[in-house]
Amino acid sequence: MSKGAKQVLVIGGGIAGLSSAWELARLKVNVLLVEKSGFLGGHAIQFCCKATDKCQKCGACATQKRLKEVLQEPGVRVHLKSELKEVIKDARFRVTINRRPILIDPQKCTNCGICLEKCPAGAVKRGHSGRNTCLYEIDENECLYFKDRDCTICRDECPEGAINLDQQELSEAVQEVDAIIVASGFTPYNPIEKTRFGYGINKNLITGLELERMLRQKGRVLRPSDHQVPQKVAFIQCVGSRDPQLKHVFCSQVCCPYALRMARVIRHRSPETKVSVFYMDIQTFGNDFPRFYRECESDLRMIRCMPGHIFQGDNDRLILRYVDEKDGGPVKEVFDLVVLSIGIMPGETNKRVAELLGLRLDENGFFAVSNGFKRTSTNQEGIFLAGTSQGPKSILDSMAHAGHAAREVARYLGVLK
Amino acid sequence: MREGDQTAQAGQVLEGISVEPQVLVIGGGWVGLKAAYELSQYYKVILVESGSDLGGRMPVQVIVSGEKEELEHLLKKVMENGQIDILLETRLLDTSGMPGGFSIQLGKDGEIQERRIGAIVVAKEVLSTPLVEDYGIGPSAKNILTQSQIESVLACPEEKENLFGQEAKEVIFLVGLKQEGNPLMMERAMLCALEIQRMEGCNASVITGNVKLASNGLEGIYRHSRENGVLYFKLKEPPRIEQDGDRLNIIFTDPVMYEEIVLKPDILVLEEELRPREEDEEIARLLGIDVGPGGFLQEDNIHNLPVRSNRVGIYVVGSLRGPLGLRDGWTDVGNVVLEVRNLLGKGKRVLPKNKVKIHRGKCTTCLTCFRLCPHGAIYWDNRAVISPLACEGCGICASECPMDAIQILDYHDDQIKAEILNGKQRLQLDDATPWIVAFCCQNSAYEAGQTAISFNMPVPRGLQMVEVPCAGKIDIDYIMSSFEYGADGVLVLACHKDNCKSIKGNIYAELRVDNTRNMLDEIGLGRERVEFKTIASNMPVEFVQTVHRFETRIKDLGPTPRSFLF
Repeated sequence: MSKGAKQVLVIGGGIAGLSSAWELARLKVNVLLVEKSGFLGGHAIQFCCKATDKCQKCGACATQKRLKEVLQEPGVRVHLKSELKEVIKDARFRVTINRRPILIDPQKCTNCGICLEKCPAGAVKRGHSGRNTCLYEIDENECLYFKDRDCTICRDECPEGAINLDQQELSEAVQEVDAIIVASGFTPYNPIEKTRFGYGINKNLITGLELERMLRQKGRVLRPSDHQVPQKVAFIQCVGSRDPQLKHVFCSQVCCPYALRMARVIRHRSPETKVSVFYMDIQTFGNDFPRFYRECESDLRMIRCMPGHIFQGDNDRLILRYVDEKDGGPVKEVFDLVVLSIGIMPGETNKRVAELLGLRLDENGFFAVSNGFKRTSTNQEGIFLAGTSQGPKSILDSMAHAGHAAREVARYLGVLK
Repeated sequence: MREGDQTAQAGQVLEGISVEPQVLVIGGGWVGLKAAYELSQYYKVILVESGSDLGGRMPVQVIVSGEKEELEHLLKKVMENGQIDILLETRLLDTSGMPGGFSIQLGKDGEIQERRIGAIVVAKEVLSTPLVEDYGIGPSAKNILTQSQIESVLACPEEKENLFGQEAKEVIFLVGLKQEGNPLMMERAMLCALEIQRMEGCNASVITGNVKLASNGLEGIYRHSRENGVLYFKLKEPPRIEQDGDRLNIIFTDPVMYEEIVLKPDILVLEEELRPREEDEEIARLLGIDVGPGGFLQEDNIHNLPVRSNRVGIYVVGSLRGPLGLRDGWTDVGNVVLEVRNLLGKGKRVLPKNKVKIHRGKCTTCLTCFRLCPHGAIYWDNRAVISPLACEGCGICASECPMDAIQILDYHDDQIKAEILNGKQRLQLDDATPWIVAFCCQNSAYEAGQTAISFNMPVPRGLQMVEVPCAGKIDIDYIMSSFEYGADGVLVLACHKDNCKSIKGNIYAELRVDNTRNMLDEIGLGRERVEFKTIASNMPVEFVQTVHRFETRIKDLGPTPRSFLF
């Protein structure tokens, strides 16, 4: 680190954190990027490409590109499996970061994947991009060794001796930083709360996020129960979003785009599959939306109604009950696969981070901005927001917001002069 | 190397390029003012406005909240700023030159002045056009207002008193029925409806297709307005409007009660469409930037969002790049400051020397490169010249140049051919294993392939990936050379349509593959040995499927006959 250079702490290694880190690094500001999981890229790097015969502008590939760019920046130092523990503000911020041990040594690991294959608990995780420097890591919450010290299969099977399960000491890093960007992201809505859908019970009921991962990992859509291509698929919009009963007074902004785009991908890859979309209001996205939506209306069945209870019928097919738009009568219809378009919820760690940093949360639990004109500034000087920590955003909107945050940090630090 | 970077890899020879530390901002609305003010902190700014005023209409959020200080303060800061040259009633007449040193002509009342500038920011506001004719209503009717008109009324206490002071009024807003609609127009209608609903005895209803709320805070406004009594009707078809003198009947079937409803509003407010003007298209033409869907001055290319255009040094912010409100426009401004800063630095840029080079002896000034460059990076001075600042290094020009006069640093023709040959030696294939050369765009297929390999997904033993900066760099010569060297099949893997960083690189690649296939047919090798596919960087699974499918085909065809070998 060159003398006198400024340093900024970026909390969160998702698309917003990566983007603000990259913009700051380009301005010769040193960045300390703290990510609580073992991998960079956040949610966005898990998403699939939604191109049909052409790009549908979802921005998922932009995450891969941004990750590559960040890893090429020497000014960005990455701490994985790390979380903020303490912050003391004087002239600068004195931050203490808790680092959980990296259990698979990236220097020794040859990416053979044996640990992933052999782990009986599914606790070994693989990054979603080949760019993840640590390609494999162990989730302590799922690992059997961390429960009762019994299972050591991964350690025993690793041909390189790269796995060390006993280094359980937390290490602490203390750093001085000049500004902080909170890019801690969001939590996907857990549809188990909506008991009427029977998520977790109905086998062929999945979330939009699970569909993203399925398309990413398998390249096509299959029913979880029998791995067959579904003939009839339904999407249910606004699961967890726009829900006054849950006190979620916000639109997640991403579910209409991802549902309609993935519905088109399903139709593109298996034209015999019929897709219905149950919705309250379809949201506009992108300048080409009028044309895109006309295509959707001819390609998909759009139904303005939120279905009630979902039951499992013969052959694990799902029975949906809803109200007919034409006459208001009840309808019972059977689908092979139902996708819940779950929304963007405030991050699980928001309350803790807000307390640590003295930040305010808004009525929905996202970080509050200082005023309507300053969308990246908070009630604390020197602390800024980027991406979905501030409210629901698409990948591309998160990138723009993160760029704006980097600009505000640069102004605060006076580094552009 | 990426445009905007000021560092270079070790071993590269660098050269410094002087740039003009001056920025042109087109448009003196609230986003243009913000851009001018922010940029003026680092550069001299020329702010050009075709109208006679700066600022203009207050956004509806400001009208209803009354918080004008921020905007008034901004206007004052711009007016008093010595770094900003404000030119009113002035239009852009012409531009030439390259980023870092554009020459522009500005016209006012027949007088023309020339300036030199480093970067251009288009920050004009999009035109809000009332959809009166679409609703089949006589425009002169007194009780019919456009969205902008009702906002003006609410902004002015006297007009507000005139319209609403005497007697309570029923007001209906029609929005998102004659067009798909967007959150910006929905927010404007909702805020006005709420404001009217709050007036003693007044009632407001909103008739719409879909309530567009995909922007921060809009769901809150929607709920709040409903709690205050604003009614919302969501229809699939626009309602029937009957005009009888000054009386209006709005007739539709209620989608909840399934019965016909007739509303008799005192005032009907019609929606507006956000549509760039013809003169905006003229600006795009003058600047050499692409116009995208809806006539907005930006192709919604993933690589260029939010504010870049297809040309380095020319940026679009705010509502002329899409239906964006003030908050989003100001977010754009934050981004454009960084873009301009990365381009102009402190008046000097350092770049690798010979990033791209035209052999002046070979160039015949045929201007093929000039016509094909998607970034407008090529001009001529007796011979063709490529601006190193403007060049994105895609190599479309190098592949299309009939004289082979252009070479891109790190991707010299000789380097690429040597790499193909090296691959053959490195792979050490037996006769039964086909050698497949896959030219992979570094932005998509190469990333996908690398991820597939790190994930231990099985790829054909004879697969050789050759990284290119853009599929547009894949010369027919590379494909034919691969066969000369003994390749059994060649794959050209590009970005999806509409996703190419250089706009047209994938299109050129596909055209060249078509041509090559015809050539292969003619020489008897067969067209099936070359294939073009598009793949995204996050599609490792599809990458593997594609290369395996291709290998199977090549195995069926058998090895390239020895007689074709070099």
